[in-house]
Amino acid sequence: MNIDHSKPLEYSTETNDLNIIGFWVFIGAEIALFATLFAAYFILEGRVADGPSAGHLFVISTLMIQTFVLLTSSFTIGLAVNAMRVGRKGATIGFLIITLILGLGFVGVEIYEFYEYVHEGLTLQTSAFSAALFTLLGTHGAHVSFGLFWGIAIIIQLAKRGFTPRTANKTFIFSLYWHFLDVVWIFIFSFVYLKGMM
Amino acid sequence: MRELFPAKQVVGFIASLVLTVIALLVYFIDMSFQLGMIILLLTAFTQAGLQLVVFMHAGESPDSDSIYVNTYYGIFIALAIVFGSLLAMVWGY
Amino acid sequence: MEFFKQFAVPNPTPTIYLSMVAIGLTLIAVLAGITYFKKWGYLWREWLTTVDHKRIGIMYLISALLMLFRGGVDALMMRAQTSRPGNELLSAAEYNEIFTTHGVVMIFFMAMAFITALMNFAVPLQIGARDVAYPRLNALSFWLYFMGAMLFNISFVIGGSPSSGWTSYFPLAGNQLSEHVGTNYYMIALQIAGLGTLITGINFIVTIFKMRAKGMTLMKMPLFTWSALITNLLIVFAFPVLTVALAMGTMDRLFGTHFFTIDNGGMAMLWANFFWVWGHPEVYILVLPAFGIYSEVISTFSKRNLYGYTSMVVAIVVISTLAFLVWVHHFFTMGQGAFVNSIFSITTMAIAIPTGIKIFNWLFTMWKGKIQFTVPMLYSIGFIPIFTIGGVTGVMLGIASADYQYHNTMFLVAHFHLVIIPGVVFAMIAGMTYWWPKMFGFMLNERIGRWAFWNIAIGTCLAFFPMFIAGLDGQARRMYTYSEVAGFGVWNLLSFFGGLGLAMGFILIVYNVYYSARYASRDIGDDPWDARTLEWATRTPVPEYNFAVEPEVNTREPFWDSKYEGEKLFKEKITDIHMPNNSGQPFIMSSFFFVLGFGLVFSLWLLVYIAAAGIAVLLFYRSFEKDDGRHIHEEDVRETEREMGGDTR
Repeated sequence: MNIDHSKPLEYSTETNDLNIIGFWVFIGAEIALFATLFAAYFILEGRVADGPSAGHLFVISTLMIQTFVLLTSSFTIGLAVNAMRVGRKGATIGFLIITLILGLGFVGVEIYEFYEYVHEGLTLQTSAFSAALFTLLGTHGAHVSFGLFWGIAIIIQLAKRGFTPRTANKTFIFSLYWHFLDVVWIFIFSFVYLKGMM
Repeated sequence: MRELFPAKQVVGFIASLVLTVIALLVYFIDMSFQLGMIILLLTAFTQAGLQLVVFMHAGESPDSDSIYVNTYYGIFIALAIVFGSLLAMVWGY
Repeated sequence: MEFFKQFAVPNPTPTIYLSMVAIGLTLIAVLAGITYFKKWGYLWREWLTTVDHKRIGIMYLISALLMLFRGGVDALMMRAQTSRPGNELLSAAEYNEIFTTHGVVMIFFMAMAFITALMNFAVPLQIGARDVAYPRLNALSFWLYFMGAMLFNISFVIGGSPSSGWTSYFPLAGNQLSEHVGTNYYMIALQIAGLGTLITGINFIVTIFKMRAKGMTLMKMPLFTWSALITNLLIVFAFPVLTVALAMGTMDRLFGTHFFTIDNGGMAMLWANFFWVWGHPEVYILVLPAFGIYSEVISTFSKRNLYGYTSMVVAIVVISTLAFLVWVHHFFTMGQGAFVNSIFSITTMAIAIPTGIKIFNWLFTMWKGKIQFTVPMLYSIGFIPIFTIGGVTGVMLGIASADYQYHNTMFLVAHFHLVIIPGVVFAMIAGMTYWWPKMFGFMLNERIGRWAFWNIAIGTCLAFFPMFIAGLDGQARRMYTYSEVAGFGVWNLLSFFGGLGLAMGFILIVYNVYYSARYASRDIGDDPWDARTLEWATRTPVPEYNFAVEPEVNTREPFWDSKYEGEKLFKEKITDIHMPNNSGQPFIMSSFFFVLGFGLVFSLWLLVYIAAAGIAVLLFYRSFEKDDGRHIHEEDVRETEREMGGDTR
C-alpha cells in the first residue's frame, strides 16, 4: 500500500481516493432518490382524502428542535473530521459520539412526531398525502438511523485501530453521508414543513 | 482548544443557524405565498451550498472538478424530475 | 395445507405442471452432475467467489443468453397465438402473463445483463486497468442481478406470473385488479436487480474516471468506454427513480397505502410518470453501449479511424441530457394538455439530431474504408437501415397530435422492436462475436455466424414490418386474439414466420458456440481481428492481472499505433502486482436478498426478518474486515508471460 504523506490521511492511498469519489457518485444517486420522493410529495400534497392536511398537522416547536439538533450534529461531525486532521484521536471520537447522540435525539423527536400524527388521525393508509409524507420523512429518518449503526461501527474501529488510512477514510466518508442528510433535511424543513405551515 | 474549533467551521455553523432563522420568518411573519417561496428557495439553496463547500470539503479533493460536475448534474436531474413531474401531473391540465 | 395454498399458480395448465417437473428434474440433474464430477470446490473457488471482472462478465453473458431464450420462447408463444384469428392456443390470462414476462425478462434480465457483461469484460481492458474500482462490489452487483432474475423466473411455477404488462401500470397492477402475487414478484425482483445495477453504475463511473492508463485523457478514450461512462451516469441518476416507484408500488400492494390507488386521493397516473422518468433514460442506457460497440466494430473492420470522434462524444453527452427531458412522450394520451405535450414533443424530436450525427459518422467511417464483411461488421451494417426505420417511426410517434392515432397499437410495438433489436440485440451479438476470442481463446465460426445473421436480420424485418400495417389498420397491442373480419390475420401470420426466422438465427448462434468450441483453432494469437484498442494488446486468454505492465498511451488508437507507427505501449519493468482477494460474501448476501424478496412476495414476515438480520450481520462483518488483497510476485508474472509466448519485459 503506497501512502502519500503529503495529503490528509483520508486521501492518502489510491483506494481511499477511489472510495471518496465513489461515495460522491453515490450521493448523486441519493439526490435523484430524494428528488423523486419530493416530487411525489408535492404532487400528492393536496390529496388528503378525509384525513388531516399539512397545515393542520405540523407543529413549529418540534420542527425547530429537530432542525437545531441536526444542524448542530452536522457541525460536530465537521469538527470530528477537523480533529482527525490535527491528529487528536480522543477529540475525534468525542465529537463523533456527540454527533450520534444528537442523531439519536433527532430520530427520537421524529418518532414522537409520527406518534402524534397517528393520534391526529393520520396513518400511513389514510390518504395519498399521508403515504407521501411518511415515505419522505421515513426515508430520511431511516437514513439517519442507519447512520447511527454505521457511526458506532466506525467509533469502535477508531478506538481499536487508531488513525490509519482506512479508518480515516471511513470517518471522512461517514461525515459526507451525515452532511448530506443535513442538506436533505434543510429541504424537508423548507418545502415540506414551512411551506405547509405558511 | 483553538485547533479543535477552526474559525471556518464555527462561522459556517453560525451562518447556517442565521439562514434557518431567516427561513423561519416565513412562518412568524405574515407574507404572500410567492415572497415566502422565494425566501425559502434562497435560504435552502444557500444552506445546501454552505454544507457542500464548508463541511463536505468538496473543493479540496484532487477530483473536485468531477465532484462538482457530478453534483451539478444531480441538481439538474433533481430539478427536471420535480418540475417536470409537477408540470405533467399538476400544472399542465 | 392452508399455508401451501398461497404458493399455487392461479391459472394452472398442463404446460405449467410440465414446466414444474422439468425445472425440478433439471435442478436435480445439475446438482447431481456437479456432485458426481466433484465440481463444487471448483465452482465455489473459481466462479461463485470470484471478483475478477472478466469472469463476472462471462457470468453475466451466460445469464443474459439464458434469459434471451426464456424471453424468446415467450415471444414465439405470443406470435403463435396471434398467427391466425380466433386462435385458442393460449387463454387471455396466459397471454397477459406471457407478454408481461417477455418484456420484463428481455429488458431487465437480458438486455441489461448483456450490456453489463460486455462492459465488465471490455472496459477495464480498454483503459489498461487491472480490474474495476471496487471488485467486491462488482461481484455483489452480479449476484444481486442474478438473484433478482431467479426470483422473477420462479414466479410462473410458484404463485403465478405478473400479468399487467412490463410497464405494470396502476390501477391494473393494484391489489383490486391483480389479486395474486405476480405483481409482488415484479416489484421486488426488479428492486433487487436494480440495486445491483445501481452499484454497477457507481463502480464503472469511478473505474473510468480514475483508473485509465497513463496518458489516456478523456478525449483519448475508446468510444465504447465513452459510451459506458455515459450509460453508467444515466444508471446512477435514473435507477433511484425506479427504486422509489417500485417501493411505492410495493407499499400499495403490501401495506395498503394510497399512492397509485383510485380512492383516498391516490393518483394512478403518477406511477406512469415515475416509471417513464426512469424508463426513457433506460432506453439510452441500453442503446448507448450498443453505439459504442458499433463504433469499435465499424472502425476496426473498415481499417480506418472513426470519423468525427469529437462529434460522437458530443452526441452521446447531448443524448444523456435530453434523455431525461422526454419521458412524457410515453403517455401523450393521458390527458396532460396541449402545452405539456408540445414541450415534450419538441424535446423528443431534438434527440433525432445527435442520433443522426452518429449514423452519418458511421457511414463516413466506412466511406473509402477497406471493409471486411466479418460477422460483427454484418450486424453493424444491418443495424443502420433497420434502426433508421425504427427511429423515424419514433419521430412519427413523437408528434403528440398524431400519437393519438398510433398510441398502444401494433405500430408502436413495431417501432420499439425495430429500435431495440438492431440497436441492442444486433450490437450485443456483434460485441459478443468481436470479443469472443479475447474471452475464450477461440473464434466463432464465420460461416455459421453469417447464416445466423441473415436469419436474424430477415426475421426481424419479416416479424415487425407487417405490424406497422396492422397497427395503422387499428390492431391494438396486448390483445390475445382478434376476429377474422378485422383483416389482421395475414399480417400476423407473416409476423409469426418472422419470429420463426429469429428463433432459427438464435439456434444457429448456440450451434455456432458448440461447433466452434469443438473445432475452432486455438492458435489465434492475441489480435485476431487486427484491431485498434488496448484490449487486444494483452494476451489471449487474458491473464488474471490483465496487463503484466500497465500500458502508457499517447494517441486515441494506441494499439494500432504501436503496431504500425512504432509507438511503445509498455515502458516499465514487470513488478509485483496487487490483486483483490476472492470473497463468498457477495454470493451469500445476495442469497439473503433472494430469501428477503421471497418473504416479501408472500408476506412471510419471519423469513423477511431472518434475511434482513443476515444482511445486517454481513454488513457489520464487512465493516470490520481487514482485507488488503494479495500480491502476485514478479517471478510468477514472468513465468505466466513466458508460457503464453513472447517477450518478457
